[in-house]
Amino acid sequence: MSLTTHEKGQPVALTINGLAVDASTDMTLVEAAWHGGVPRITNIGCMEGVCGSCRVMLRRGKEVSVGLACQTFVEDGIEVVFMPPASAPQHHYDIGDLKDGWDIHARFHKIFPEASRCRHCHGCNTACPKGIAVEDGVALAAAGRYREAGETFFECIMCELCDAACPELIAPAHVGLFSRRVTAHFHLRPPNLIHRLEELRQAHAIAPQDKKDEEENHADWPAR
Amino acid sequence: MSNGIPLAEALARYRADADLGPLPELADIDALLNTYHPDHLRDSVIKLTVGANAGDNCQRELAGLLQAEAFIDEADLAGTPVTDVDVLVIGGGGAGCAAALAAAENGARVLLATKLRLGDSNTVMAEGGIQAAIEPDDSVQRHIQDTLRGGHHAANPALVSAMASDGPEVLRWLIDQGMQFEQTPSGDLHTRRAGGMSTARLVHCRDYTGLEMMRVLREAVIQHRSIEVWEQSPAVELLSNETGQKCVGAVLTSLLDGQLRIVRTRSVILATGGLGRLHLNGFPTSNHLGATGDGLVLAYRIGARLCELDSFQYHPTGMLHPSHLAGKLVTEGVRAAGALLVNGLGNRFIDELQPRDVVCAAILRECSEGRGIRIDAQRVGVWLDTPRMERAQPGLLEKQFPNLMARTHVGGIDPRIEPLLIHPTLHYQNGGAVIDVNGATTVPGLYAVGEVAGGIHGRNRITGNALLEIISFGRRAGIAATTNRDRGPKKVTLEHVNRLRRALTLAGLPMTQRAPQILPDYAAGGAWNR
Repeated sequence: MSLTTHEKGQPVALTINGLAVDASTDMTLVEAAWHGGVPRITNIGCMEGVCGSCRVMLRRGKEVSVGLACQTFVEDGIEVVFMPPASAPQHHYDIGDLKDGWDIHARFHKIFPEASRCRHCHGCNTACPKGIAVEDGVALAAAGRYREAGETFFECIMCELCDAACPELIAPAHVGLFSRRVTAHFHLRPPNLIHRLEELRQAHAIAPQDKKDEEENHADWPAR
Repeated sequence: MSNGIPLAEALARYRADADLGPLPELADIDALLNTYHPDHLRDSVIKLTVGANAGDNCQRELAGLLQAEAFIDEADLAGTPVTDVDVLVIGGGGAGCAAALAAAENGARVLLATKLRLGDSNTVMAEGGIQAAIEPDDSVQRHIQDTLRGGHHAANPALVSAMASDGPEVLRWLIDQGMQFEQTPSGDLHTRRAGGMSTARLVHCRDYTGLEMMRVLREAVIQHRSIEVWEQSPAVELLSNETGQKCVGAVLTSLLDGQLRIVRTRSVILATGGLGRLHLNGFPTSNHLGATGDGLVLAYRIGARLCELDSFQYHPTGMLHPSHLAGKLVTEGVRAAGALLVNGLGNRFIDELQPRDVVCAAILRECSEGRGIRIDAQRVGVWLDTPRMERAQPGLLEKQFPNLMARTHVGGIDPRIEPLLIHPTLHYQNGGAVIDVNGATTVPGLYAVGEVAGGIHGRNRITGNALLEIISFGRRAGIAATTNRDRGPKKVTLEHVNRLRRALTLAGLPMTQRAPQILPDYAAGGAWNR
């Protein structure tokens, strides 16, 4: 649909949540659902492929796949089912409890014991609407290479379709996020930020009252 | 709007290496804004008749919602299940998550209720970055000055000062939560200078800053033992004490089972975001589906004072093509990185790094005076010259703007080869509920943080202050909300609703429209039938 080949959409027929919908090929599945008045669809968020809400199952003939409704254009005869919201995660940790960087590898395997049991079925890779090499990312995390694992998951939008696809219940999306979070938490120490924080701390230690006065001096606003 | 240069003609004329001519002098900014900014469209502003802002200017469509009938009355509350919590946070974007985490860190039991999914928000779509004065040549004072100037000196200086002073500490807190940022080879946080900034101050995570922030905060909230999350649970009304003077809870409904639920609490934190999905003045919007201004309606009905209700931000570079991305943003980061705006005649017409309202007005001027590029009778825009930037800085788009590349790829467009057709889009509500430095509104027990709050950005927000604001004030309100240690409400009532109904009747206003809107009409299909 580049500007030079700008064309009008062609009419197509599809089903969404079992209802027949007439749409046009320039519509996404979200637009088609609204256009067709399909009821009870509230798992739609950003409509630009970054929030991971609009998870759909798609059937084309005998082939079944998953995707994001806002990133998928309608096709003739395609069957679409909007998926229910993902269930609550089963792996729990508080990043504040992770005190020692040397201890992370042991903690990771306690929190995500399934991560080392990947059976390489590629279900997560196939499910990912962003084309992330999910399986490789999990393997990197299981090997303690959190920075690289996190980078693998850089485009993750938390749709959790990989979690749904994993037969070992690894929860790859959360493994990816864990990897990214510990990398920042333990290793991101930017000199320019640290320098400014220290300057502010010293200035505040000298004149803590000034800042307070300034903040409290707003009672007469707005003046207009 | 039938004038403009036909697309085919403009495309034939377009060259990434063409001479763009001299940048015309920007003579009179006020005249440009008064003539072309949508806030100044004829008939778009009326005076409010009832409520805390009676007599103040307000955008017409918003006024209709602020002065509308409620969905429920006392009879609906009989037999409704009640939940008691210390702090109720309404809204599951960045501000709501920051507030919930801060309240929980301070020992409160927190319920976070959100209309859609946790993380469905404008935060997740923020691309440009977050402002914090961390470079050696920068200072908190300069950040304050830029913010006040960008907002045409209409902002509350105390709020701006609080936010700017929090900047560096906010970054530290986000890094502690596990958020990553772009670094220079020496390990400094990478900064960019963007519109309205006197120096480089925009810290970012490629062009996924909001996504990176949101997925980290979402995970932190999900993982927190003291925070319970209710998704698909929009608020339809706040609750007040016997006199209607204090906020003591809220009534939530469920998009899944339609059941009403009462939440009783000591403090309510509104973090409901903005109102782009009301499509004010007929504009497209960059906002997510839930941005229907619910928080403003609820706050106004319980008596909170609001501000700048006639001032909205129309982001200069919304996409015009392809149609499924209409209104979606091309981040200001692209202009900050060097992309120029070019009209249908192949000329530059504005300094691209002017504040957003000025650039927006300049684009609308080009379109209205026949120098825009016309796709069809409805759609006119100007070029965002990405191929020229790619020529000057090969590989930059792919490396720094993967989000833009991924989105345009789905639509079959390559911004390295073709310029993007853009048009201003409704992006941000500059005003909102009047708050103090702790996010407290003028109604006891009610806090407002994030886009629903006002006074921080004056009449125009500069880029990167939204992501800063939501964390800065989200955390401030979360902490302040836990300091209220009274025994909680004895009685929850709808006294404030009765008060507003009386006022509406006295003023002779119709009570046919109900609010809050919850979902835009086109998406409501049976899920939320009123």
